[in-house]
Order: sequence, then C-alpha cells, then structure tokens
Amino acid sequence: MENRKILVETRELTKEFKTVSSTWSKSKGIVHAVTDVNLQIYEGETLGVVGESGCGKSTLGRLILRLLEPTRGSVLFDGQDLSQLKTEELRDMRKQMQMVFQDPYASLNPRLKIRDIVAEPLVTHHIVKSKEESTAIVEDLLRKCGIRPEFMYRYPHQFSGGQRQRVSIARALALNPRLIVCDEPVSALDVSIQSQILNLLGDLQAERNLTYIFISHDLSVVRYLSDRVCVMFLGKVCELGITREIYADPIHPYTRFLLDAVPIPDPERKKESKDMLTGEIPSPVNPPSGCYFRTRCPYATEHCAQEAPELREVRPGRFVACHRAGEV
Amino acid sequence: MSNNDSIFQIRGLKTQFFTSKGIVPAVDGVDITVKKGEAVGLVGESGCGKSMTAMSTMQLLQYPGRVVAGEILLDGENLLEKTKKEMDEIRGNRITMIFQEPMTSLNPVYTIGKQVSEAILIHENVSKEEAKQRTIDIFRKVGIPEPEKRYNVFPHQLSGGLRQRVMIGMAMVCNPQLMIADEPTTALDVTIEAQILYLMKQLQKEQGTAVVMITHNLGVVAESCDYVYVMYAGKIMEEAPVRELFRDPKHPYTFGLMNSIPKMTEVKEHLYTIKGLVPNLLHLPQGCRFCPRCEKAMKVCTMYEPDLYETEDGHKVRCFLYNKEVMNSGK
Repeated sequence: MENRKILVETRELTKEFKTVSSTWSKSKGIVHAVTDVNLQIYEGETLGVVGESGCGKSTLGRLILRLLEPTRGSVLFDGQDLSQLKTEELRDMRKQMQMVFQDPYASLNPRLKIRDIVAEPLVTHHIVKSKEESTAIVEDLLRKCGIRPEFMYRYPHQFSGGQRQRVSIARALALNPRLIVCDEPVSALDVSIQSQILNLLGDLQAERNLTYIFISHDLSVVRYLSDRVCVMFLGKVCELGITREIYADPIHPYTRFLLDAVPIPDPERKKESKDMLTGEIPSPVNPPSGCYFRTRCPYATEHCAQEAPELREVRPGRFVACHRAGEV
Repeated sequence: MSNNDSIFQIRGLKTQFFTSKGIVPAVDGVDITVKKGEAVGLVGESGCGKSMTAMSTMQLLQYPGRVVAGEILLDGENLLEKTKKEMDEIRGNRITMIFQEPMTSLNPVYTIGKQVSEAILIHENVSKEEAKQRTIDIFRKVGIPEPEKRYNVFPHQLSGGLRQRVMIGMAMVCNPQLMIADEPTTALDVTIEAQILYLMKQLQKEQGTAVVMITHNLGVVAESCDYVYVMYAGKIMEEAPVRELFRDPKHPYTFGLMNSIPKMTEVKEHLYTIKGLVPNLLHLPQGCRFCPRCEKAMKVCTMYEPDLYETEDGHKVRCFLYNKEVMNSGK
C-alpha cells in the first residue's frame, strides 16, 4: 500500500457552518460539520466513508471537490493544494474529479435530453465545440453504462431511477476523470437495481483505474465496494483501515455498535439480544467535551470527557481515535 | 393453518386505480393470514403493492384507488362491509398503523401528549386525567426519556427516532389486535433502527399484538418476522416461515432478491443481478409477470399465469417449477 501513489490528501480539513440567526433569537450557533480530517486516498482505490446522518460524510465529499470552501485545512489533489488554485486552474483540475449524487431525480436537468446532459461537461471544458459534435462520444459512454445509445434523445423523466443513475455515471465519466465522489449513489434504488449499479461501478473502476470516494450509510454496500473504510462520527474520523479488517475486528466502540446494529438477512444468525447503543446522536452545534462519542459510549471514563482522542495508528494501516482502543 | 388462531386475514384482495391511462391493478389477488401474536413480513420493491395492501386494509385508499374484490377479515368480521363510522371505531383502536415518515405523520401544531391522549379519548370512555396518565405510561414504555416533560413537547422538537417512538406509542396505547408497520425504520439511522425494531418486538411479545411488517429490507424481515410474504407487481410470489424462506428461497425472484444484496460477511467479485426492470402495471406481460426477467423461464411461463403451489417443506411458490404436472409434462 505504501508504494502506491497518493491521489488525494486532506490536511486538518474542517468545515463549520454558522446557523442562521432568526428574528427571534440572536444566538448564533456553529455547526461543526467536519473537524480536522486527515486522509490519504491512493490512486485506484475505493475509500468508503460511512456514518449516520449528520456525521459530515457528504460535507467531506464536497470539501474534497471544493464544492464547499473549507473553514480550515487544505485538500491536495495530485500534490496540488486546491485552495491555492486560481479559478482557471481549478476549472482545469475539475476535469479530473467528478461526482455522482444520491437522487437521480434531482441531479439531472429535466429539460435537457440525455445526450445534452452527458455532453454538457465536454462542451463546458471545450473538449468539443458543440453538443452535436459530441454524439459519438456520448453514444460510447452510454453504451458503457448500459443505456442503449438510441435512447439518447429522450428526457430524464422517461427513464427509471436505475437508468437515470446510469446516465449520471455516464456524465461523470465524460471527462475521463481520475476521482469520482459517489454520494449515496444507490440509496434511492431498489435492491435488484442497486446490484446492477454496484456491478457497473466496479467494472468501470477496473477498466479505467478510477479512484472512488464512496459515501454511504449502508454498511453492506460499503463492504462490497471499498478497499478501505473511514468511519465518521459527528464530523470526526473515528476509525480508518482496510475494509476486511475493520469488518472482522472493529476496534472503536462506535464502529462495533454500528456494525452490530445492521440487520442481517439471515434468520439463523439472529441475535436475541443485541448490544445496542442507547441514546441519540449529540447535536453538532453543541458537541460534548472531549471525545464526541463518550455520551453514548459504555466504556467512557473521566479521561474521555477531558481530552479529545487523536486518530492514532494502532497497527499498520489501522487508525483509531479512542483513548481506550485495545483495552476494551 | 386453521381459522381459529388467525386474527387477520386478507382473501383475494384486488385494489385497482382507475386512471386516465387505464386500470392499474396495484394489488391483484392477495391472500394473507396473520395468526395471533405473530409478526408477518410483506417484502417487495417499490411499486409492488405492499403499501397499497395496507392502505386497503385501513380503508385509507385515495382517489382513484378502490378495492374491487376480496375480503379483509379482522377476527372474522369483514372490514370491507363496515360503514365509515364503524371503520373509524376500528381504525386506531383495533388496527393501528405506523408510517415510514415520522416527520409527516404527526400533526405539527399539537403537542405529542395531546395527540396520543386524543387517540385514547376517541376510542375509550375515560377521563382526560386518566388519558394523560396512560399517555405518560406508554411514553415511558416506548423509551421516551422524561415522559412527563415530553408530554408538552411538539413533534419538531424531537429527533426522528423519538418521533417514531411516539408513533409506536400511539399505535400501541389502545392495545390493538393488529399493528401494520409500513417501513417503520427506513428513514432512521442503523443504530436507531436497531433500537426501534427491538422495541417493537418487545411490545409485540408483551401485549400479544399481531404485526404486519411492510419493508423492502430483507435484513429487517429476517430479524423481526416469523412468516414472510414476497410480493412482486401486485401478487404474492412466495410465502414461507422466515427460516425456510432464507434457507432455501424457491421462487427465482426471491432467489434474485436475496442474492443481489451485498453481504456483510463475504465479498464476491460480482453481485447477482435480476436483469431488466419491474413491469409497468398497465402493460403486464402475458403469463407469469416475472417471466421477462426470469432466468429459468420456460415456454409455459409466457402463456399461463402460475398459481401458488405448495412444496413439501412448507413454502407456497407462484412458479411452474414447483408444479409437478408441468414439470413432468416436459413443456
């Protein structure tokens, strides 16, 4: 793993949102969406980002593409700091990174034909002069993504959710990117369609040596697709490592509870009583002191309330942010 | 399965939507039996008619939908013959329902305490104080912290998980005979989902309520149901006790569903896929409705519609592969 090329690196990446003050209250809160995230993503790998709603996984994806400006910290793409780039340079860089969104109903312009949707990035980046010129390229992309090219003059509403997601993927591939951020790409789809899309993503990666950041709340989907997993809780990374190893032997208590909570489609393995997390996710506006997870953690001690644990390497390639990692 | 221990039965239910484009057979002849205290799962993908089966039962179908045939029996009484007033008595009292969206199924302008005690006051002849006390008791039971204080709280002040607990409390407060849960955990995070499923199971055991769990998540079914019905395009394709179904899914559709979900424990190069798309209910294929997507389709499948055939190990499967006559004739 060490000799592989690092494609993306984040350094103390942090994003805070100010909550809007209304007429009635003057108190301005700060939402700590992503806090001090340090990640290295290797070329050709899939990094799964998992966590519950509000844990900052989507914000992280957007920060990496610089669709959001970070409050602190930086993102290095292929060694270049994205925040230092001028508009023109950034635009050039953007060719190499694309995104596939969750909702295939909202992410395609309903007034454009499929051909124009897929051709749009090509025209924007002056790879072709007009949409008409791009027809051959679009045909090829659609075919690769499993859409019959003769459908390219149709509108998005004439397609099902799975087919629309295929169109989104074709659009993301149009510029031949190196990195694709997939933000819950299969959550809106039925299971029988979901597996088709997952297979497609896998095939495309093998063929083009793509790097994926795969954001999902579905742990079994992440298990299937990712080489490494990053588990997030309330804007912080709490565990990072090779997928197989994390699923087999989770170290952080949160990872353990998260994996245990997933309903397994096998009644033979039904556990009569699960170890369950009690309580709710704390508010990111007002996170607890020290370790953010301590209010739900059965192993929390005084130390956890005083000092936030750093992400440390507990064994080669495995990072855990917990004071008591290895003890409990 | 004798009639005596069944609390709820759907027989030959057909629900259709009369649209300008034609008649949509959303539910096309469904039979379901729920025994006392049993949890029954109804699984299928979006548009297969599982929610419409529930809405038909509650008689909450919206125009242009209508039940055109069948019987819905609660404790032997046919709900379809009830008047609107009689149905109001039953709904929320003897049959209750939990919806997927805890955000939209509570009234935002009333406190949660008022909404739950209202359910008691409508159906039972009790004083306001007693209703309040029972509401607080049920809040405590469903795990709402500080129930006395939360009585006066509005839905928007609660998280999704707590709102779903309020819904469950409201559904259980009148000791219903049957509770229909339509995707009760789909909008929730996994750790909260586990809490809610556990809670439902506990209440079900304690009060002996029968549950119909409607979901697309096979994991939820495996963990919380005793018996499962698999639905596809308006029809039941397979039914079996939960262990049987997962041990040996017989219908090619059930098999496909189970194998197309990625497993937590193993990694395969490629996931199994069911090719093609769910058929448009306005233009159903001739013969078996799964046939155009089926790997094992035979000639007979394109011509005739199969019935539910009973197998030796207790499955009922709507597939000619399990019809001895067809298989022996070698068509």
